Amino acid sequence: MHYTIRHITRFHYTHPVSESLTEARMQPITDANQRCLNFELSTSPEARIMSYRDHLGNIVHNFDIPGHHSKLTITAKALVDVQDPAPLPDSLPISAWKELDSIVSRDDFYEILVPSPFTQATPLLAEFTRELAVGRDDDPLTLLHRINSGIFQRFDYAPQTTRVDSPIDDALRARKGVCQDFSHIMIALVRQVGIPCRYVSGYLFHRTEDHDRSAADSSHAWVEALLPGIGWVGFDPTNNLVAGGRHIRVAVGCDYADVPPTRGVFKGQAKSELSVAVSVLPSTEPAPTQMNYSPILSIGSHGAEPDWASEEFAQQIQQQQ
Amino acid sequence: MTLPATGLPERFAAYELGAAYDEMFTPEMRPRAHYQTLYESLLELPPEEMRRRQEAADLSFLNQGITFTVYGRDEGTERIFPFDLLPRIITHAEWDTVERGLTQRITALNLFLKDLYHHGKILSDGVVPRELIYTCKHFRRDMRGLQVRRDIYVSVAGIDLIRTPDGSFAVLEDNLRVPSGVSYMLVNRQVIMRVFPHLFRNYGVRPIDHYSQALLATLRALAPDNHPDPNIVVLTPGVYNSAYFEHAFLARQMGLELVEGRDLLLHDNVVYMRTTAGLKRVDVIYRRIDDDFVDPLAFRPDSMLGVAGLFNAYRAGNVALANAIGTGVADDKAMYAYVPKIIKYYLGEDAILQNVDTYLCGDDSQRAYVLANLDKMVVKPVGESGGYGMLIGPHSTRKQQEEFRHLISATPRNYIAQPTVQLSCAPCSVDGSVEPRHIDLRPYVLHSAERTTIVPGGLTRVALTKGSLVVNSSQGGGSKDTWVLFDPRDRIDGETSRRSFL
Repeated sequence: MHYTIRHITRFHYTHPVSESLTEARMQPITDANQRCLNFELSTSPEARIMSYRDHLGNIVHNFDIPGHHSKLTITAKALVDVQDPAPLPDSLPISAWKELDSIVSRDDFYEILVPSPFTQATPLLAEFTRELAVGRDDDPLTLLHRINSGIFQRFDYAPQTTRVDSPIDDALRARKGVCQDFSHIMIALVRQVGIPCRYVSGYLFHRTEDHDRSAADSSHAWVEALLPGIGWVGFDPTNNLVAGGRHIRVAVGCDYADVPPTRGVFKGQAKSELSVAVSVLPSTEPAPTQMNYSPILSIGSHGAEPDWASEEFAQQIQQQQ
Repeated sequence: MTLPATGLPERFAAYELGAAYDEMFTPEMRPRAHYQTLYESLLELPPEEMRRRQEAADLSFLNQGITFTVYGRDEGTERIFPFDLLPRIITHAEWDTVERGLTQRITALNLFLKDLYHHGKILSDGVVPRELIYTCKHFRRDMRGLQVRRDIYVSVAGIDLIRTPDGSFAVLEDNLRVPSGVSYMLVNRQVIMRVFPHLFRNYGVRPIDHYSQALLATLRALAPDNHPDPNIVVLTPGVYNSAYFEHAFLARQMGLELVEGRDLLLHDNVVYMRTTAGLKRVDVIYRRIDDDFVDPLAFRPDSMLGVAGLFNAYRAGNVALANAIGTGVADDKAMYAYVPKIIKYYLGEDAILQNVDTYLCGDDSQRAYVLANLDKMVVKPVGESGGYGMLIGPHSTRKQQEEFRHLISATPRNYIAQPTVQLSCAPCSVDGSVEPRHIDLRPYVLHSAERTTIVPGGLTRVALTKGSLVVNSSQGGGSKDTWVLFDPRDRIDGETSRRSFL
């Protein structure tokens, strides 16, 4: 299925800033199940857009605006073809653990087998691990399904209850959060049993008949786990789904910190306000006449010149929902 | 002059030999051949004259503003770097071994870094545990797959050597990030040439004053190919940094601009320097700023010292950095234990310079041994430099030992321990008399794709307190000039030709 994605990010600065530098991880991945057929990134004020592939294989676009400016708009448009992945078996033999361990010992999965900044082991996580009886009693695939639905059942989807930089304990304590929190919790649980597991930043195409919990006009996040004989399989604990033809993958990393849609710094004594609009539509449908912007959120980054003010992690609005 | 078998002249009355190797005296208290001339000169030098020369030397340092900052003390402000008058002398043959050993080591460590940040063969082959890399706080995952200019990761290294009681040199630690102290090496030489002009001239000391030009050549070799006139700058954290004097000194000697982060600007992945005549492109940066602070966009967002976006320009190949980002993973003190294996792995050779026995606290049985012998060992945090955060077992209190027991148990990977090594002793001028003090040696290694250059000698650091084994300048140590002698055969030729010329 072909999708057209529009992702508009608007920054408004309370005072003019200069020398802003921005990195964007917005170009959908091209691999076996997904092909990014076209991608355009434009900015206002205009800037020369450069790109590179980061150490995780994600395409990153970067640009800078040297002169004074009070607004910055980043518009990303992508045309993506997503295939449904091959259907999963109902379960795997219990011997799959052995196979998995042998794969893990041969290649370098170190970083996605240990806690990363947002997936630290905590007493609350240990408690939740016991609650879901996460261990190697089931085969790996069955276990992943159980964790996926376990998180879905035990947590309420509640935007604005956690922050973009919230540790998993916030969501674990309140038993509510958004897709970013659920993904971090699932990653932490899955890595504990020795399954390589990574964070996926992307979009979910919502159809009314699906009753997805996650917000439609927003970026989305889920996880991918490595299974022997199958490869990477996506699990979406927010919606109790195995990732399929509606999940559009943009970037992968150890956790959110590796893949924020944008991050940047600027010089100037200003606060920045940010709003984001996303639309994901089948490419056959016409472009939306109007984009729905998230409410404007003031993010408290202001630096005294010549200090750098950082927009990283302050970008509450970019929390993946 | 022959020495009477019993007792020493009064000048050396306070000179006691301990368990350590003594640079000047044999165990029988006879001066070693290469120290004989110095020994005799000292006998002829009245104490008041020695004091006078020490004062002249100190004044010279003060006048040149050669100071540094000691952190972590209340009075932590600028001080003169204490200078000891008496040179430390190394023979040609000894230096030959050191030079070969350092060249071997830096070559292997550079190959190690390239491998780590590309295919990681040494990890797949199980020679170095993968965990050790990933748990090292100086490992920069962002460097993976990044092509550094000419595959040179370490352009400038300072490798700390000690002389063990059997008289051989061994490596105590590698400094592959932003080693400092080379300016003191250069200034010490200038001062001693004024204080002991005759002695110096007659001793046949190999020169070191080409260091700055060799450093410049090493930096130039990183510039884009065929660039006729690359713009190279020295990037300093600023005047509050303990080594600011050195940054300014080296920039001046090389004729380069000394810049701070705010003097640089990034546009379209190119680094520019702000000048009164507008922006000027920068090709190579000799950076004296730690990785963490070099780019607030890529690394620490709270850094005000670096240049935002620098890492992108670096990745794009538009600017070269010396040293590369991420070299700290190879001078981690736990990695140090693996360096002999690393040398064997990449070069197929045995290490010429030995390591000091090292216990990794991350290993259960090694940690148990360390915890049981805390009073005998030196415990070091793996990622620190400058002698901060160490426990010197034999000189520690019960309370300090308990504190370290707690620290080690909390984060074992962060600590290593070594048996207390008796650093060698060298004669030092102590208030008009001559006494032994413990010393080490930090030679500076310049490494480029074409050659490895080590100016003969380095910075000999001195533990000024009697009996102390801590030589770090940040911990109150001082330094002395280091004389590496010409090959005696060359020297005869040299002297002959000089005489005939005269």
